[in-house]
Amino acid sequence: MTFSSTPASEPRYAELDVTTNFTFLRGGSHGEELVAQAAALGHAAIAVADANTLAGVVRAHIAAKEAGIQFIVGARLILADAPSLLAYPTSRAAYGRLCRLLTRGQRRAEKGDCFLFLDDVAEHADGLIFIALRGENNPGEDRPDDARFEEELLRLKGALRGPLYLAAHHSYRGADRIRIEKSARVAARTHIPLIATGAVLYHAPKRRPLQDVLTCIREKCTLADAGFHLEANAERHLKEPAEMARLFKGYEEALERTVEIAERCRFSLDELKYEYPDEPVPQGKTPQGHLEALTWDGAAWRFPDGIPGKVRSTIEKELALIEELSYAPYFLTVYDIVHYARSVGILCQGRGSAANSAVCYCLAITNVDPTEIDLLFERFVSPERREPPDIDVDFEHERREEVIQYIYARYGRDRAGLATTVISYRGRSAVREVGKVLGLSEDTVAALAGTIWGLSNTGLPDKYVREAGLDPSDPRLARCLALAHELLGFPRHLSQHVGGFVLTRGPLSELVPIGNAAMEDRTVIEWDKDDLDALGLLKVDVLGLGMLTCIRKAFALLKEHYGRDLALGTVPREDPIVYDMLCRADSIGVFQVESRAQMNMLPRLKPRCFYDLVIEVAIVRPGPIQGDMVHPYLRRRSGDEAVDFPSPHPDHGPPDELHQVLGKTMGVPLFQEQAMRLAMEAAKFSGDEANELRRAMATFRRRGTIGTLQDKMVGRMTARGYPQDFAERCFNQIKGFGEYGFPESHAASFAHLVYVSSWLKCHYPDVFACALLNAQPMGFYAPAQIVRCAREHGVEARAPDINHSHWDCTLEKLPSSPQGARGAVGQLRCALRLGLRQIDGFREADAEQAVARRDRPYAGIQDLWRRSGLGRASIERLASADAFRSLGLDRRQALWAVRGLPKEIPLPLFEHAMTTEIGREPDVALPVMPLPEHVVDDYRTLRLSLKAHPMTFLRAHVTAARIVSCGQVKTMTDGMRVSVGGVILVRQRPGSASGVVFMTIEDETGVANAVIWPTVLERMRKVVMGARLVVIHGRVQRHEDIIHVVAARLEDKNHWLDRLSEDGEALEAALANADEVRRPDPGSWRGSQPKPGLLPPLAAADHVKRPESGEPARKGEARHPRWHPRCHPRETRIIPKSRDFH
Amino acid sequence: MRLADARAVCPALLTVPDAPDNDAAFLEALARWASRYSPSLNVDGADGLWLDTTGVAHLFGGEPELLANLAGRLARMSFSARLGCADTLGGASALARFARRSPVIAASGTAPETLAPLPIEALRLDPETVLLLQRLGLKRIGQLYGLPRASLERRFHSKDAAESVLRRLDEALGRRNETHAPLLPAPDFVARLSFADPLISHDGVLAGLERLAGALCSTLTRAGAGARRVVLWAARTDGSSVALEAGLSAPSATAAHFVRLLKEKLDTIDMGFGVDLMTFAALAVEDLHPEQTALSATARKPGPEKLIDALVSRLGPRTVRRLFPQESHIPELAQTTQNAFSKLPAWNGSSSSTYLEKPPRPPLLLAKPESVAVMAEIPEGPPARFTWRRVNRRVVKAEGPERIAPEWWRAFDGGATQRTRDYYRIEDEDGCRYWVFREGLYQERGEQEREPPRWFLHGVLP
Repeated sequence: MTFSSTPASEPRYAELDVTTNFTFLRGGSHGEELVAQAAALGHAAIAVADANTLAGVVRAHIAAKEAGIQFIVGARLILADAPSLLAYPTSRAAYGRLCRLLTRGQRRAEKGDCFLFLDDVAEHADGLIFIALRGENNPGEDRPDDARFEEELLRLKGALRGPLYLAAHHSYRGADRIRIEKSARVAARTHIPLIATGAVLYHAPKRRPLQDVLTCIREKCTLADAGFHLEANAERHLKEPAEMARLFKGYEEALERTVEIAERCRFSLDELKYEYPDEPVPQGKTPQGHLEALTWDGAAWRFPDGIPGKVRSTIEKELALIEELSYAPYFLTVYDIVHYARSVGILCQGRGSAANSAVCYCLAITNVDPTEIDLLFERFVSPERREPPDIDVDFEHERREEVIQYIYARYGRDRAGLATTVISYRGRSAVREVGKVLGLSEDTVAALAGTIWGLSNTGLPDKYVREAGLDPSDPRLARCLALAHELLGFPRHLSQHVGGFVLTRGPLSELVPIGNAAMEDRTVIEWDKDDLDALGLLKVDVLGLGMLTCIRKAFALLKEHYGRDLALGTVPREDPIVYDMLCRADSIGVFQVESRAQMNMLPRLKPRCFYDLVIEVAIVRPGPIQGDMVHPYLRRRSGDEAVDFPSPHPDHGPPDELHQVLGKTMGVPLFQEQAMRLAMEAAKFSGDEANELRRAMATFRRRGTIGTLQDKMVGRMTARGYPQDFAERCFNQIKGFGEYGFPESHAASFAHLVYVSSWLKCHYPDVFACALLNAQPMGFYAPAQIVRCAREHGVEARAPDINHSHWDCTLEKLPSSPQGARGAVGQLRCALRLGLRQIDGFREADAEQAVARRDRPYAGIQDLWRRSGLGRASIERLASADAFRSLGLDRRQALWAVRGLPKEIPLPLFEHAMTTEIGREPDVALPVMPLPEHVVDDYRTLRLSLKAHPMTFLRAHVTAARIVSCGQVKTMTDGMRVSVGGVILVRQRPGSASGVVFMTIEDETGVANAVIWPTVLERMRKVVMGARLVVIHGRVQRHEDIIHVVAARLEDKNHWLDRLSEDGEALEAALANADEVRRPDPGSWRGSQPKPGLLPPLAAADHVKRPESGEPARKGEARHPRWHPRCHPRETRIIPKSRDFH
Repeated sequence: MRLADARAVCPALLTVPDAPDNDAAFLEALARWASRYSPSLNVDGADGLWLDTTGVAHLFGGEPELLANLAGRLARMSFSARLGCADTLGGASALARFARRSPVIAASGTAPETLAPLPIEALRLDPETVLLLQRLGLKRIGQLYGLPRASLERRFHSKDAAESVLRRLDEALGRRNETHAPLLPAPDFVARLSFADPLISHDGVLAGLERLAGALCSTLTRAGAGARRVVLWAARTDGSSVALEAGLSAPSATAAHFVRLLKEKLDTIDMGFGVDLMTFAALAVEDLHPEQTALSATARKPGPEKLIDALVSRLGPRTVRRLFPQESHIPELAQTTQNAFSKLPAWNGSSSSTYLEKPPRPPLLLAKPESVAVMAEIPEGPPARFTWRRVNRRVVKAEGPERIAPEWWRAFDGGATQRTRDYYRIEDEDGCRYWVFREGLYQERGEQEREPPRWFLHGVLP
């Protein structure tokens, strides 16, 4: 190199070779950290280049905007047939090409992988700047020798034809000067300019230990035997420009070129503009015109007797606002999807901020009548806030896949993609991985990981370490915990979002790379919903909801057996009998309000109208509970406390400034948006500050930046004269919402489903139970409780039988009921026949086949075997489920017969001969199976028994021991001493209840609820955790209709089960219900513990733990075609990982 | 119950990993102990012993007394044992494991009545078969007696299962003989040689050893085994004996090799009044399969095994160590010494290139780096001048630094916290080349780096 540039007095440098932690298990820092560090060190710009992905660029982009440094989007292209390249787009078009290139590589590989070849890059090279790497950044990589590398470079140069540079970095591996000089000579010979890079893996030297740990996780080894997989030193960090200048002394132009490149890469992610797809708008129409036409058509259909004036003006107002913000295409896109679902008979319902508008009601996106509930549209979509509208649509969980495939078909794979969900290291996974790497024994790792019941950003308190029997001051352990804490929040892999679709007008693959999902037929974009929000890209959430499946099935049954044709929107409204039922907390199976906490709330809240249901749905949530808003609301509702509105000091504002915000909820903030409005009205947060608060809420778990906002909000509210206590409660509530936010609009949509399912349960318990069973797995309760509840409501339940059952549960006409009688409470026309689906391990295809060939009843086991074509194993399953009663065989006899079948079906010619031979078999008198044993086997094969409850057989014994039945507890008065026994149904230890365990036990007379305080738990831990059959001694606590037994002592009576049969142990296993205490789920342990409520069950925010009911959308995830429908309900109760709300 | 569930019930639960091999070995030892009661005995399953007491009981005064004696001794050893005695092995096993009391004796010929109330599991059937019988309501042995055998047989899909039920039933009831193998001593690799006239010269012993080694080696070869440890016992006429042991670094079945190892020690044998019995045995045996020998003699490189064996037999097993490579960036940790008998770790191909890529290490690394006084440019300049062993040297050529950070995780094991080192290869005016390092960086990093950096010489380069 002969020319020389005069070095500026202050060296300028831009780091272009940066690997973030989105190059999984290689990068040791978050993009945010790297960007902030680069800004602090005074870099001219920073680029992020992760291996074959753009997944991390949005976060870095946002961070760079905050830090005020130029950010360059880039990617590290790992090629199968050439040296790796760094690529930076110089324009929007070039960025689009880079996305397309990565899409191509990812689409042709399995999920998470990417295969790229030089030819692919060459095709998309226009406008990209490339830097060739010599594969020396990572130990163990293949390092070509000089001559070969030179050839490779020339090949690259020839293929790419664009700007190409050669990277050199100072690695502190000894002969750095020599190596750089060699590279410089290669560069000179090939006329590819040399460029200096830092080959950065982490932002600061202190991250080396974590990076070593990541390397070990990647290589699946411990630190002790990782050897040369690890770096020799801590030099892969961002360095100051002056330091870089010192290291590259004599190669100043290589440094200067980084800044040149940075100046040419002026593309910013802010240039990405979202455009709605054209499809939903017919040719020749404007979106707004089309939307208006559809809305008015829909209004005429909704209000056949004429559109009420108020609705008309609301619609007009909303349409005007939509026009002002040009959101019409968004509404049309949602309408298009909903319209498709309706056309193929899939039940669906929208929710979300914009969903509860009159326009959406008219478009049949939602069924919440705007005349019934007064939700101000402007509150959700307002011109000042510039927030995109948000509509989530729930579909039947069993048929959501059809909708998804429709979207792919209509918009094409290159224009529609699911958003991604970044799966990060959480407490337990982080501790487990780091522990393994540090060489802790498996036992220690298990004990540590087991202690962390869930996610926490605060690290692991010493107390919990000691509880696990470990010494927190042990250096290795301390280091393990520190590193695990550092690892928290590191992305681990990308998974698909539950249903957030991004649809675009142009090719989506020019906006963001698209890859394959783990599931067949799904394609996923690389950004998650926060990224999309940050860039203002719109997504439509297509979610699955089990209850919709149930309701659709119920409607179908209703039409078939009762001749009533109903739809979500036409169920009779505001039926007092339905509310009566809910006030009795008779809500097993009802959407949302079936959990124990909700059932405790119902008799207190006493819902009498639709809006009460909206509150009911929203109130038993962490937000109101953590904010301690529940009791004030209840007191005000029952008239024990005057309704007043907290007001500021008169100097600071009108005393009624909160009337607008809190009017509907008696001055107590219950909904998420009320809390936000409070921040704006009472703490005078500006729009930007409110947005910051909202973002902090959304990312609370990830970063924990909420602390400064707390001081701000509480401080300002008290300064304006609000009571300190009220301000703090409001903020706690916001924190609670941050984790599981629940806005009014969602509550309203859910409340509608609560009402519809209650109505069905109230008027047609047979239909409801049948539909609910056929929609399993879903909801809070197992089939046993559903059937039990139905029987309590007078429904006759019939056991599965080979000659009567279908795969699904069915309804059978009761002979006595007169034709045409109105189905209503007490006038049941049908009996519930359990389907063959209840039989554990029996296959749907077998059931279909057996039913299809059942033209006349099967006469015997041999007849069944010959005609149905079922295998012997399947018939045996039927036998063990006692499904041959109609043939006069009990399970034991049936099994004997099945077992006697020959191996193969005899040829017709010999059939006669064979039958006689079998017929000649001597009659064998098997021992008669006692009833208790039948019950045990019923539980084992069906997980329920219609014959009897196991406790029935023990009743005499139990009564003799002065133990009362669950039914008797209901008649007792407050404060009475009681001993009650039963089989444990559910144990829960909600995170928000400071260690209290709630236990529900069951016997033949009903269920009883027990509360176990931590002190009792400490003494009785073995019984509480280990027992199946338990006797609880304690006192009755009665509050109106809510009865609990506060346990003082518990007795493990598992051995009583032995009395039922020799197989007592088997029964114990069969009775093992969904048990949360024994299966700790993430979320049970949280850093902040709220104060226990006055009445403990209120704090049982068990929807947190049971999102099937609270958030059934997640269930839809499991409903993929490949999902195995026969897995046991217990398995499907595993809490979904993602819990974010939309 | 899963461990996680058990932990939820009892957080302070202590766990010990299951070691079935150890248990089995212990049970076998107990069986050998029990040979005081009967010569014909063996372990029964994972948790039982059987003893054939035919013709033995009277020595103890009858069956009840024998059982009482056995129970007493086991109890003194802190075993809780259940004992059953019957005509057949199957019957005794069923009684011992499933009878309500212990010890229990079924009088001769009463097996059907005694066994009838016992659960079906007592028949030593596999769990699936038991489950099926239970599901059919056949839960007690007695319920099987009246069933038509053909009908019962049909109920099993596999012929083995069907047969096993009937066979086990017959065996328990004594309708069919059960074959049972007593605990035999493990096949030994032993060769013996006795002499009519006692040997009194060492030459005779050597000749005997050669014959014995040949005999043992042919036994070993037939068994596809090689000895890792051999012993030669020489029994003297007065009843005393002497033993010579030798260990090998690799299994061998070569007679000459054994002889060579022991030959030098033979002189140490005190012959006393003469040796009349010699026993040569392989104490530790490993698999050794014959290998294809190379066609040309040069192609086969002799391993170090023979040398190691010779050194070990001369110097003792703990004194001979050999070097193994160890993947570490820290120069003095890049190799480790281990017992010469240790197996060579599998060669990790990927890292071999990393060894080569490192700048050359000096062939001689000083055991302890020696402090040198250095003049160098701050912060990272190579030495310009340095003083080592009181001689002042001027540096004319230098390369570096190669920066090696301490292995931070070693601090847990009590190792001293180290500092980052910068290594330089330097050459002085005389053409001598050195490997020096500066310990500590000038850019302060971390807490340990408080002291000013110091210079050391770590090796001399060729």
